[in-house]
Parts: sequence; C-alpha cells; structure tokens
Amino acid sequence: MITFEHVTKRYGERLALDSVSWHMDEGECVVFLGPSGAGKTSLLRLITHETRPSSGTVTVGTFRSGRVSRSQRALLRRTIGIIYEDFRLLSDRTVFENVALAVRIMGLFANEDVVPRVLSALEQVGLDGKLDAFPGELSGGEKQRTAIARAIVNRPAVVLADEPTGALEQRSADDVLALLQSTHREGSALVLVTTDPGVAHGMGGRILTLQDGKIAGGETHMPRPTRMAVVSGGE
Amino acid sequence: MHWFYFREAWRSFMHHRGLAYTAMFSITAALALSALFALLAHNARVALELVGDRREMVVYLNDTVTPSQRDALIGRLQQLYGNVTYVSKEQAWKEFSEQVGDPALLEAVDANPQPASLRIKLRPELLNYTAMETAAHQVSQFPEVEDVRYGGDWVRRLDELKNGLVRAAVMVGALVALAVVFVLYNTIRLTVLARRPQVEIMSRLGASDRFIAAPFVIEAMLEALLAGMFALALVFGFQQAMAAQIGHVLFLPWTWAVMFLGAVLMLGWLASMLALTRVLRSVGA
Repeated sequence: MITFEHVTKRYGERLALDSVSWHMDEGECVVFLGPSGAGKTSLLRLITHETRPSSGTVTVGTFRSGRVSRSQRALLRRTIGIIYEDFRLLSDRTVFENVALAVRIMGLFANEDVVPRVLSALEQVGLDGKLDAFPGELSGGEKQRTAIARAIVNRPAVVLADEPTGALEQRSADDVLALLQSTHREGSALVLVTTDPGVAHGMGGRILTLQDGKIAGGETHMPRPTRMAVVSGGE
Repeated sequence: MHWFYFREAWRSFMHHRGLAYTAMFSITAALALSALFALLAHNARVALELVGDRREMVVYLNDTVTPSQRDALIGRLQQLYGNVTYVSKEQAWKEFSEQVGDPALLEAVDANPQPASLRIKLRPELLNYTAMETAAHQVSQFPEVEDVRYGGDWVRRLDELKNGLVRAAVMVGALVALAVVFVLYNTIRLTVLARRPQVEIMSRLGASDRFIAAPFVIEAMLEALLAGMFALALVFGFQQAMAAQIGHVLFLPWTWAVMFLGAVLMLGWLASMLALTRVLRSVGA
C-alpha cells in the first residue's frame, strides 16, 4: 500500500527525513509519534506527492515518486483522504458544499450521486444537522468533523491525519479520534501523525516514533481500544 | 461542461467584484477604441465602395473599326471584364458639347474629333489598381482599340487610402488585443493568487488542473464578453450621436459585431490559459 525505501528529504541545508524506510499494508493503522520538527509533516507531504524525496523512493499503491505527472498526482490524491490540524475548509462554502467538493472532484456532478454520499458522510460524523452552516459558524470540533466527512466521503483507500486533534479541546479530540477509529474499522488504512503520546496510544495499531528525521527504536503495537468516545451533534 | 463550473465562476466573479470591475473597465476602454476603429473602417469602406462602384474603363476605338468587329469586341470584353456600353462618335460629340457649353468654341472645330468608345463597368473583383492596370493592358492589345483610360493614378490613390485604413484598423486591433490579454492575464493571476488557499485545498483533494482552471477560464471569458458588449454599446451610442449630427454614419454590420465578440471571447480564453498555466504550477503544488 505505502512503502518508503531509504527516503531522505532535505529543504536546503535542513534535513527533514534521514533514510527512512517503512511499509504499511492495506487496511493497516500506522501512527507516527514525534516532537515538532521530527519530519512527520514531510512524511505526509511525500505520501501525497506534494514534494519529492531528495533520495529514495516513495510508493503509494501503483504510484511511485519521481515518475508521477500532475494528472497522475491528482489521481493519486483522489485515493487518499486527508485531514489537517487547521481543517483547511473553504470558508465561503457551507458544510455540505465543502464535503460535496470532494465528490465533484471525482467527476460526479449529478445530485443523485453527490447528495446521498455527502449526507451519509455527514451523518457518520454527526453533522447532518449543520448542512447549511458555514465554517465560521462551527466550533473547532465541528470543523474537524467536517474535514473528516470530506476525507471519507469518497471511501478512500487510505486516510492521512496530520495532528487532527492538535487544535481541539479534549472532548472534541476524543470524538475525532473515535471517528478516525471507526473509519479505520470500516476498511480504510490510516496514517496519523501526532506529537501527543496519549493520542498515539489511544488510536491502536502500529506506532513508529520519529526523532530528528529518523525512525527511532522499534515499533510499538497497540491493541485497538475497546471504549469509543461518543460522537455528538454539537459541543 | 457541467453547470457547476459556471456557478463556481460566478461565485469567484462576485467574490472579487472590485478586481473584476476594474479589469472590465480597462478592457471596455481598450475594446471601445478598437470597435471605434472598426466603425471608422466600416464607414470608410462603405464610402469607398460607393466611389469605387463608379469606376469604369473607357476603351477608345479606331475609326476604321467596322460594326461587326465592334460587336465582336463588345462580346469579348463583356465576357472578360464586365458590362460594356457603346458610345458612338455622335453620342461622344453630344456629351462633349454639353460639357463645353459655349457654341462659339464648338463652331471652331471643323469635324467631330471624338472617337467612338466602349465604357466598361468592371466586375467587383477588378475594382482595384493592379487588376485594372492588367485589364487595361490586355484590352489595349486588341487591334480595334486605339487607347484605354481608367484614371490609374486616381484608382491607385483610392486603393492606397483603403489599404491604409485596413492596416491602421489591424494595427489598432492587434495593440488592443495585446492590451486585453495583458489586463486579463494579470486579473486572472491576481484572482487565482487571491484564492490561493482554495486552489491549494482543491489540489490536495485531488482536483485536476482542468477542474481548478475551468471556473477561472469561464470567469475571464465572462469578463471579456461583458466588456465587449459594453464597448459595442458605447460605440453604438457614438454612432447614433454622429448619425444625428452628420447623417449617413452606419453601425457595424451584425456579422462584424458577432465576430468582434467572438474574438473577445477567444482573447479571454487565451489570456486565462496563459495565466493559469503559469500560476497553477506555483500554487497547486
């Protein structure tokens, strides 16, 4: 599914990733834990082909770094759902429109294709009562749930979550993690990066610790937690 | 193309109304100048065609030409160059007498010196200096022909004037086209940069360049089309005012107006494609 082979990433003189190798299979959950500047975001940017490795190879499905055109890169990204710490919602569109955009990007424009998918995704994240709200009218947790709905609406093969609870208070963070676990249980592979050991251990799955651009120590396998936070419609 | 792209274009247009209005104002001014030149060129063309229609070639015949030779020549010239009218020596003298007017002067002339002639109203495709010169040379080769006159110098000047007007219209048109492309190029660039976060989000969600670019292209074409229509409206107002003042000023034929708007749409498309090709590479990483 995703394979990094001796991947090094430099930004000028700064070394973000230093000969990192790892692999994940379909449906797996991998959490990268590490402090700020450890190279976690670079790792996600390499998966989405926003940037190319300075050396080494990144393979995502059938896409291999270095041989990906702009149109292929767009195709690759359509197989990935991505969630950012700062949500990255379009402020001039409603919750429904933000999620629908991801469906339309797939080339589906007819209402009978778009509406059921979007409503289902929003129901899944508990936002079916906020269809017409704009991001400015939502709490942080609701914004992140909208971003999750947008990430899962096309049932992607893999969901990438970049510090998804970083900007949230505890209860919202619990809700978001529960949603991510639920998404993972339904079959999507999950790559989550976080600075918070509590989040990493709470997610379940394989934990890889990033330190100064390297995968430090061995792997930790956490069992999937049995208790799930309850997703509520509001906060 | 799905209506979604048009809705997105309208959303972008309304979101950046100030920028769009400024661009449209600049483009309208440039296009109005171009349309004004087209109006001048059209009216000059109509006027020159009216004058040109009166162009004719006069073929003077030898005094020895028999009626059968003359009729054969008329048939040949009619076939090759256009409508031929025969003017006999007597008719020519009559016309000359009417032009001179003074009987004393006419009495001084012993015999009728006017030759018989053929007046050829040339076909439209021969109403230019080069064609007329060639035709005159060919006609002069017939043995029945004494001389050929067609006002070569006058025809040449008329053609030069017409060609000069066409060249000026083309030059102004080209300059205005460059100005329109420049204004739209920068407007679309600024619009994309102003919407950079949105473009980046779309790119990261897997939107293709076409998906991202289409609304901006439609927006540029919409701005260009509206500016083109305003420019035509301004020139129509000018034409009406001039027609009221001096009369006989025509507006552009509708085919010209449609071609003008078509060209403006093409410029909008070209400018936006140029801008987007560059800017999407830097924004949509």
